[in-house]
This record gives sequence, structure tokens and C-alpha cells, in this order.
Amino acid sequence: MYKVNNKRPRRFDYDLIVIGSGSGGGVAAHLSAKQGKRVAIIEDTAMGGECPNFGCIPTKALLKTAETYRTAKGANKFGVRATNVSVNYKNIKAWKDAAVHRTGTYQGKEVFNDAGVDVIRGHGHFLNKWTVSTGKKRYQAKKFVVATGTYSFCPNIEGLKETGYITYREAIDLDSAPKSLFVIGGGPIGCEFAFLFGSFGTKVHIAEISDNLIPQEDKEMGQTVEHIFAEADINVLSKTKVIKVSGRAGRKEVTYEQAGVQKRAIVEEVLLAAGKRPLTDLGLENAGVAFDAHGIKVKSTMATTNPNIYACGDVTGKYNFTHVASYQSRIAANNMWHRKKMRADYHAIPRVVFVDPEAAAVGATERELADRKIQYQKASVPISILGRSNTSGNDVGFVKVLASHTGVLLGASVVCPHAGEVIGELTLAIQNGLKASDVEKTVHAFPTWNEAVRTACTRIISI
Amino acid sequence: MNHIVKRAGHAEKYDNRKLYASVYSACLSVREPAGSAELIAERVVKDVDHWISHKHEVTSNDIRRQASKHLHAYHEDAAYIYHHHRVIH
Repeated sequence: MYKVNNKRPRRFDYDLIVIGSGSGGGVAAHLSAKQGKRVAIIEDTAMGGECPNFGCIPTKALLKTAETYRTAKGANKFGVRATNVSVNYKNIKAWKDAAVHRTGTYQGKEVFNDAGVDVIRGHGHFLNKWTVSTGKKRYQAKKFVVATGTYSFCPNIEGLKETGYITYREAIDLDSAPKSLFVIGGGPIGCEFAFLFGSFGTKVHIAEISDNLIPQEDKEMGQTVEHIFAEADINVLSKTKVIKVSGRAGRKEVTYEQAGVQKRAIVEEVLLAAGKRPLTDLGLENAGVAFDAHGIKVKSTMATTNPNIYACGDVTGKYNFTHVASYQSRIAANNMWHRKKMRADYHAIPRVVFVDPEAAAVGATERELADRKIQYQKASVPISILGRSNTSGNDVGFVKVLASHTGVLLGASVVCPHAGEVIGELTLAIQNGLKASDVEKTVHAFPTWNEAVRTACTRIISI
Repeated sequence: MNHIVKRAGHAEKYDNRKLYASVYSACLSVREPAGSAELIAERVVKDVDHWISHKHEVTSNDIRRQASKHLHAYHEDAAYIYHHHRVIH
């Protein structure tokens, strides 16, 4: 191996080396290779990263099976006879595995190779600004993209590590639904797994330290999800701190504190969903890349404090979403090779929690607007007023819009069936600075869930 | 086999005895009793050994940062000395 010195090398092995093959890294690798650059990707775990292997795809495939089961069980309400509806969890898992397989991650290396990207298996570690080591070999590149993602954060709860717990990674691969489950953390991941297993008959407790579930969003969203959970017989423990986990006759005893009172729950399994932390243990200091506990510090161009190294995806700590990672990766791919720079803009990032009905939000929350001292108006419409609600037999949910004093849309929350799709209209409006009156003037099809968006916008005064 | 890339650019095998000696010296330099210094050095070496176990090649600065981070949990003053003084006699 050559001697490592801190001078800029005369020759490089690659134009670009990407560390991490998920959407944060993969998009930049593909786009750069398309432009004729010599590109390599370093990956030490599953090709394709978190989303197709452990995150979005497997969980949504499992949630689809839960939705189908609930629909079948509730079919009698619509005059459809569905008797002896039951679950075969092995087949559910097979459906999930098939969904993961269809993403192409199993052929991951070939997908990159076909695009002209070399795949290097191993753990990348920076030795200096231009050199990364995978142990067996060192590689030098003009540019780097760091897209290593996150790991599950384990809070300091007495006995938790010793007693054992699962995270979303293990939860997607269980051979059967646990009889009882205690979920620590009421964010999107915790809620989705609580709802998933609750649908299959698991007795679920979900504990959240904040006032309500999904605390990062407006409180109406969390409160509505709590209502949905209550109807699904899921025990929601808000303002609750888990203080101890211990083993008890082959089961797990969770001690938690709520309103100053200590209580206990005995469950088969504990699922930890208390947040994630960036994976930054790759010698970033040697490369002059600044980072902290929240992630790698990036500019809006996605460049780090080293202008030749970019960071994208969850490791930047911006928004832990696949769509944000690929957006950042596109920006990095442009800015690495072109003079005209693109800049990341996060003012209209859609966020979806895939419970049933779905909960979605975009743009600013009320708390953010208040913190920024921005005056705003708001309007909310329950979906029960819609014709679609009447025909679907689903009356739980709302659409809420936030707008400036002139009526420019700033944020929105939606809880209704297919809220993930409904939020698209509002994302487009907020991204392009449209006023509520612009949405109001748009003809919406009857009877659709999107009519609630238009109705909410009619209640905003536009100047 | 773990390799350490030294500041001069060459690489050598990771030797945790060197790390033990430097951490032990840092503890002694802040008047930590020898027995306690030994215990702390052993713990820090164990932590760094664990950290390096899944890595093939790191820099000497990486080792210094990791040792400093772990030493900080056991003895703040020794960690300060360890971090800021490259040679402790």
C-alpha cells in the first residue's frame, strides 16, 4: 500500500466515491456515472440501504396486509360476507419479502455495475481528505458523498439492554405477531408498528414522553391518531417515561411513570422506537468534515465543511425520509460537477405516517410559525362533511391548513384515507407559494378526499 | 489485523500496549494513584479495542480521539492532558 500523505494526489482512483448505497448515495452515484464520471460505492451492509431492506418498503408491505385484514374483518358493515377471516403470518412475511425482492436490492450490486458504478464491499474510513480505506485497500477520489444513514438510538433505561429489545429491523422479520408488545416512542416508526401489530391482535402499549403521539407535528394529528388507536384497542401512554425493563418468567416487565405514578406492563416483547442517531464513525475528522450528535453539518449545496465532500440523507440529520435523501443526492450530484449550484429547500417537505387512515403533513407546523414569530391564520375541516366520507363509512380525520395573513399557504396537516396522496396537492401549492384562494378556485372532483383541502382553503382569507 | 496510519504516513500494526502506556502516564500526570491509573488505562484500552475491532485501518489521530473520549468518562483531567499533550514522560 502507498504511503498516506496529506498532499492532493496527482492521480485518483475515482472521480467520486460514495459511502452508503441507499437513496442518499445511490442517486448521486447513478447521476454522476451517467455524466461519464468514474464512480465507486462503498457499502458494508445491505445494498440499497435502509429504505428497501428495513424501512419504508417492508413496513408498508406489512401495513398493507394489516389493512387488508381489517377491511376483511369489517366487510359485513358493507353487506359483504367475510367469515373465518384469519391471518397466516408466515405468508404475510412472504408477501413482505416479495415486496423487498421486487425493489431489486437482491440484485443490488448488478444494478450499480450496470450503471457503470463499481461496488466495493467493506467499511469505509477516511484516512485523509482524499483517501478512504476499506481495510484491504485504499481508494483516492476527487469527490466523496457520505450517505451512511442512522442507527437506532437506545435511551438510558435501566435493564433495557440486559433484558433485550427489538427495533424496526427485527420487527419486520418476526415469524409471528407477538401476543403483547410495549413500544417505546410515539413517533412515526413507533406508531406504524403499534398499528401493524395491533391490527393482528397483539395487545399493544405505546409510550410517548411528550403530550401526544407524533409530537413533531401539530397536536391535532397526534390526538386524532390517538383516537384511531383507542378504537383499535391500542393502549396509548402519553406523557409517559419508561424507567425500567426487566425479565419476568420469560416475559418482559416494563415499569413506566405517568403523572407521577409508577405502573407496570408485562409483555412478550419490547420494541424500541425512540429515535435515530447519525452514523458518523468513519474518520470524518481526518477529512476535515464537521459533525455533531445531530449529524454532518452541510450547506444548502449539500457540501460539508470540506468542499470536496458532500453528505446526503439521514446522516445530515435534516429529515429522515427517503424522498429527502434522494432530493439531497440529486442536488449534490449537480453541485459536484456543475458551476451553477442548486440549493436544498426544505420548506415543503411532505411527511406521512402510514397508519389507517394515514396521517400526513407538509410545510411549517404551528409551533414552527410561532417560534419564528410569523402571524398566521388557520382553517380546519373534518372529513365527516365529505360525500366520500359518507360513501366510505370513514368519518375520522381532518384537513388543516396554515396560511400567512395574505393567504399564502405555509403548512398543512391531513388525517384521512390516502392522506399521503392528498398531501401532494398541498405540497405543490406550498412549494410554489400559492395562496389558499388558488386552491379554492381549482375544481376538485366529487366525491374525493381532496375536497376537504379545497373546503379548508375557502375558510382562509386571501388578500 | 488492525493497522494504524501514523502522522508521517506509514502504517503499523495496532499495539494496545502503547495505548495503555500513554493513558496510564496521563493518569499519573494528574496525580491519580498508580492502582487507579492502571484500572482506568485497562478500561480505556478495552473500549478502544472494542471500537477498533470492526475496523481494518484507522489513523493515529482516530485512536487518540477515541481514547480521549473514553478516558473523559473516567477521568476528565487525565483526558485533557492526554488530548493536548502528545508526549508525556
